[in-house]
Amino acid sequence: MSTIDLTLQIWRQKDSDSQGHLQIYTLGGISTDMSFLEMLDVLNEKLTKEGKDPVAFDHDCREGICGMCGSVINGVAHGPEKETTLCQLHMRNFKNGDVLVIEPFRSRAFPIRKDLIVDRSAFDRIIQSGGYVSVNTGGTPDGNAVPIPAKTAELAMDAAACIGCGACVAACPNGAAMLFTSAKVSQLCLLPQGKTERKARALAMVATMDEEGFGYCSNARECEAVCPKGISISNIARMNREYLKAVLLEG
Amino acid sequence: MWFVRFVSSSIGKKAIMALSGLMLLLFLCSHAAGNATIYMSRAVFQGYADELHSHPLIVLIFSSGIFLVFLVHICVGILLFLQNRQTAASRYSVSTRVVANPLASKTMPYSGLCILVFVLVHVSGFAFGPEHEPIAETVKRLLGHFFYGLFYLVAFAALALHLSHGFWSMLQTFGVNHPRYNPLIAKSTLVVPLFFLLLFGGIALYFMTGIGASF
Ligand code: HEM
Ligand code: SF4
Ligand code: FES
Repeated sequence: MSTIDLTLQIWRQKDSDSQGHLQIYTLGGISTDMSFLEMLDVLNEKLTKEGKDPVAFDHDCREGICGMCGSVINGVAHGPEKETTLCQLHMRNFKNGDVLVIEPFRSRAFPIRKDLIVDRSAFDRIIQSGGYVSVNTGGTPDGNAVPIPAKTAELAMDAAACIGCGACVAACPNGAAMLFTSAKVSQLCLLPQGKTERKARALAMVATMDEEGFGYCSNARECEAVCPKGISISNIARMNREYLKAVLLEG
Repeated sequence: MWFVRFVSSSIGKKAIMALSGLMLLLFLCSHAAGNATIYMSRAVFQGYADELHSHPLIVLIFSSGIFLVFLVHICVGILLFLQNRQTAASRYSVSTRVVANPLASKTMPYSGLCILVFVLVHVSGFAFGPEHEPIAETVKRLLGHFFYGLFYLVAFAALALHLSHGFWSMLQTFGVNHPRYNPLIAKSTLVVPLFFLLLFGGIALYFMTGIGASF
């Protein structure tokens, strides 16, 4: 088992109203088989034993499916490995002696609550404004009653892979939430159940996205490059089509 | 009202940028076609210019139209640039761009402003040049100055940079993104800016190097 020694510069901030700063920590003997969050656990154990305040960070499943974890490591959301959440990033991606600057997902729409924890409830409000299908049916309909081409189902599944982590916003030079919102719009508008409300949905979700203070997309493509679920910006193009159709015909 | 909703939304403003960008691009095509006559001969070029200006109403309508489109493109562009600076000004102590070549997309407002400065110089030189001088003569006189020509080359490079992000970005904003056509779009995003750079740049080089002294 190989181990590495690291220098960490971690963003420490008491609460939303306080001024934050980068705090330097040295951490030795980190197993390269550890995940990034386990490395932070080791640091927190050490801090706790020293009677200091541990670093607050979000996490839940630790298997890359819940969307809770995420920080910016040396300027890259979720760190250097492609299509990987922070919890699934392993320390073998780093070298002995590396200096890691760890900052929260920053955006005007994501206020920092403490240290690396940001409030991503703006995403929830985007979903609440239209990310659903409002049909009240009885039992489950027969699986083959509504035929859906396999290709369409695949596209919808690809879009549905979004875990709402917010890395796209964190990486966007403008703090835009287009990748997240477009994944949700796409997932629903591609399927028959979601088609009925597609215009109202596109209008409402984009309006909420704008109100929440996300920036304006300049097609820099950074979102797609850091997304742990490989969500493609072809979803953004689809949302642009959905929105333009909706606003010109029914807005 | 739907129009207010459209204009005040983020995607609506993007669509305005893309639509005005497309119109500027179409203008650029017609301008390039006209100027390409310089490569044929002085007589053909002068004939084209005289023919164009024998229809003052058409010239007036098109030039004020393109002026308005420019104004919209610039104003919305600057507005969005300023709004984005508020959302995201220097957020991280380490910022890394993951995308392979972000130069063009990062510099859109700056390459745009370079084009604006160029357009002002260009219009004041050619459209409001000395009266009764044949336009072919004006072109030869102005571009014959080495530094005037160099300024033109720099501006054409800025235009090429602007379009090397703008062309693709425009299509993405319109929602044109399809696995069958994406390779073609990627190629066009190189070919289109290069085409304008070579065509316009060639004219500037022709005169500034002195080859066009006999024009
Ligand atoms: C012949 C002149 C010009 C042409 C052909 C042109 C073309 C374009 C095109 C096609 C786009 C892409 C639209 C989109 O992102 O959807 C664009 C974007 C833009 N242009 Fe221009 N443009 C010109 C002049 C200017 C000028 C004078 C400015 C002055 C500031 C400017 C500033 C911008 C900005 C800020 C953007 C937005 C970039 C972004 O969203 O990242 N452009 N332009
Ligand atoms: S689109 Fe990707 S980066 Fe953005 S929230 Fe969804 S999973 Fe995270
Ligand atoms: S903790 Fe659930 S995705 Fe990382």
